[in-house]
Order: sequence, then structure tokens, then C-alpha cells
Amino acid sequence: MIEILQQIVNGVAIGGVYVLIALGLTTVFGILGIAHFAHGSVSMFGGYLTFFLVSGMGFPLLLAILVALLTGLVIGMAIEFLAYRPVRNANHINAFIVALGLTMMVEGLNLEFFGHEQVVIPTDLGRVFNIGGVTLPELRLYVILAAALLILAMTIFVEKTKTGQAIRAVAENRDAAILMGVNVNTIPLVVFAISTALGVCAGVMVGSLFAIAPGIGEGLVVKGFAVLILGGLGSIPGAVVGGLVLGITEALAAGFISSAYKDVIAFVVMITVLLVRPQGLMGKA
Amino acid sequence: MLEVNDLRVAYGAIEVVHGITLNVQAGECVALVGANGAGKSSTLKAICGLIPAKSGRISLEGRDITNASGHAIVKAGITMCPEGRQVFPQMSVLQNLAMGAYARRDAEQASDIDEMMDMFPILRDRAGQAAGTLSGGEQEMLAIARALMARPRLCIFDEPSLGLAPKIVAEVGATIDRIKKMGKTILLVEQNAAMALRLADRAYLFEAGEIVLTGTGAELQKHPEVAKAYLGH
Repeated sequence: MIEILQQIVNGVAIGGVYVLIALGLTTVFGILGIAHFAHGSVSMFGGYLTFFLVSGMGFPLLLAILVALLTGLVIGMAIEFLAYRPVRNANHINAFIVALGLTMMVEGLNLEFFGHEQVVIPTDLGRVFNIGGVTLPELRLYVILAAALLILAMTIFVEKTKTGQAIRAVAENRDAAILMGVNVNTIPLVVFAISTALGVCAGVMVGSLFAIAPGIGEGLVVKGFAVLILGGLGSIPGAVVGGLVLGITEALAAGFISSAYKDVIAFVVMITVLLVRPQGLMGKA
Repeated sequence: MLEVNDLRVAYGAIEVVHGITLNVQAGECVALVGANGAGKSSTLKAICGLIPAKSGRISLEGRDITNASGHAIVKAGITMCPEGRQVFPQMSVLQNLAMGAYARRDAEQASDIDEMMDMFPILRDRAGQAAGTLSGGEQEMLAIARALMARPRLCIFDEPSLGLAPKIVAEVGATIDRIKKMGKTILLVEQNAAMALRLADRAYLFEAGEIVLTGTGAELQKHPEVAKAYLGH
């Protein structure tokens, strides 16, 4: 029983990272219909940048994360404006090609700037808590709390603010949103800025919990899309539920069956869910 | 208030509105009637900035709004209640109403929502429900209320009775009549010519992208060709 709880806690931490990645992908997809493949690599750029600021420049961790976040906001807007906006009214395949090209570019830039060595963001969060037999390293606890806080903030933003409601409105009915007076040119900028900032947070979490290395971002974006499909395309609650389900399944599979096959098992669960609910866990039929 | 001069609208190479001229005076209810595909909806979409005008001039209270972006036109004071209702299906009734006031920055939005719910009591009962779960008639009421939430100077209704049961159509007609009596300026597009001509102070008859007839609602109702082709007399 303790062992199961332990794996669930581990799963929640990695699931939180998946949720943050998927939240960005799902809002971008919901509003623009774009599969933003470069999201993982851009997120890892945020992780690398934080590592560089802490290890190379001697920044305190929180300041480094803040700088990386702000950089993420700007990069997100630049990606929307420079890469996706020009193909907005073109055939969907064009945006798809742009997304693939962007992924390679960002991966290349990451390699150029930060090298091919794997890096771990140093934190001095070394304490380990023991709650009723379940071990919870301090860092993992903070990751879970931060992810929960960000998910909560994102939900409040979308549900309670005017801009958030406009984002939902554009996703649900673009023309009707225009008729309400929503500027459909600025909304994508906001969406990309927020999505990328959330991605940067995920990158920092991956970089401090595990490690960042070339290829990690691409792996993460595949998981992110798996979460999207699992939870229901364009659905924010779906991204949250899907991310946690994937994270916990992976952790349980790794703990009780085989860590080498954890991805296989996670994807088998995903396929099974989709056989029963093709629209995803929280998707509308 | 609204002046449209020699407006042409085209989809690619195919022109569907061939240089129409019309106007709506403050406080008036003007109807555009005509068969399906006559260019009524394209005219409205061009006025609202959803599709570009090929040529011609559209102005609101003397201000040129030709080819302005959709959100700028809403700010200028034109709101459209679109064909097929187009409510935000997964947002609640309350959130839909709040979206209607998106372009406003004043503090009276909450009391306006309350006013709309007095006008359409069903919306109060359904306030927390997702708009997509409402019946067609309820969605039409929501779409009308949402449009009014913008406090528009000119309110455009595009086919408000389309696809609704006869009893609901009558209700929609009565609602537009009420809005007219509130002093709102209305531009109404309807395939249900009998209802449109009854409500309208003036009307324009569209045929194949041109205006072929204009007059007061009563005049058009009595016009032999209109009576024969559109009213079924």
C-alpha cells in the first residue's frame, strides 16, 4: 500500500510537468488549430537558460527562473508573430511544416548555445520528508506545489478574466468572438506568451528533477500531445486530468512492472482509453 | 446613421453583391428581404468587417468604417446577432452575456446582465448552464441578449427566425418589436418576409446581389410582386 502511494506521489510530480506542457499545447491548438511541435524544445530552452543563469552567471535560482519566464513570454510572442502568423490563412499543412522546421531550429540553437552534455539545474533543496512512510524529497514537493499553483492560476485566468474569456470565446467560435469585439490578432500573441511561459516552468522542473539533454524536449512534446488526445483536444480540464493519468500510470508501471517498458504501458493505457472514449476523457463527443 | 454606398462584395473572383446603396436612420428599423443567396448576409458581413468589401463605402455616423477590422466596428457601435445564433456552446449563459459586453469598459455591465435576465427570464433560470445545452429558441434569445449587452448604436439581426418553430418565431418577432420600442436602431435580415415587413419601418428587396425595390414596410407588403414571390399571396 505504501509502495503504491509512493509511486502515485512520484507520478503526480512528473504528471504535473506533463500538465504544464499540455496546457500550452491545448490552448494553442484550441485557438489556432496548430500542432505546435516546437513547444517541447522551447520549454527545454527555458530550462537550459535557467541552468546557464544559475551555474554560469551565479544568479539565485528564483531570479533565474523569473528571467527565464519573462524570456519565455517574449519568445512565445515572437514565435506566433514571426513563424505562425504568416501562414495563418494558408493551408493547415503549412503551419505543420513551420512547426517541424521550428522544432529543428530550436533544437539546433539549444545544441549550439548549451552543448550536448546533459545538464541538471542545481538547487539546494536537499531535504527529504517522510509522511507516513511515503518519501517526499523537498524538490519534488515544490514541483508539485508549483505545478498546482500554475494550473490554478491558469484556470482562474481563463475563467475569471476578460482576456481569458476572450481566449475561450475565440476557441469556441472565432467569428462570434469577432462580433463581440475581440481582437483576434492580439489573442494569439497572449496565448503563445502564456503557453511558452508555462512550458518554461515545465523545462525548469524537468531540469531540476531529472536532467535536460538534446532530444528531451521532443520526447516531452510527444507526451504532451498524448495527454492532449487522452484528455480531449483543446480542453483545459482534459489536459490536467490527462497529464496526471499519464504521469501516475507511468510511475506505477515503472514501479511495479518494468521501468524500461513504462512508456509502452502508458501508451497502452492511452490507447485503451481512446477505444472506450474516442473523444478523450474530458472531450465533448 | 449607417450609410452604405455602391458596396460590392466578392468571394475570390465571384462577385455576389453588385454595388448596393442603402441607409439606416437613427431609431429606424430597416429590413433587408429577398431569397436565399440574394446577397443580404454578405452585405451584413461586409458591414461588420467579417469579409472585405471589394469597393464602395460604409460609414457609421459619418465615420468611414469600410474594411475596418471586426473588433473596431464593434467599438464604433455596430453589433450583429449572427445567423444560426453562434452562442459559445461550452460557456455558461452568464459567460456568454458577459462576452457580449467585451468591448465595454464601464461599470454597469452587471446591472445590464440583470436587465437582460428580466427581459428574458429563461436566461436567469439557465444562467449557469452551458449555452450549447439550450433549445434553439432559448439560444436565439441568448444571442439577442448577448448582442444587446454591447449597448450597440446599431443592432443587426441576421436571420433571427431561421430554423425555429413557428411559436418561437412569433416570440422572436415580438422581441425585436420590443427592442425597436426601446428606441434601438435595427437592421434586420429575414427570409421570413412577412414578419420582416411587418416589423420594419422601411425595407429593401434584394434580388441576385442588387436592390430591386425599396419602400416602407407597408408599401412593400402591398406591392404585387413582393406579395406574389415572397409573401405567398
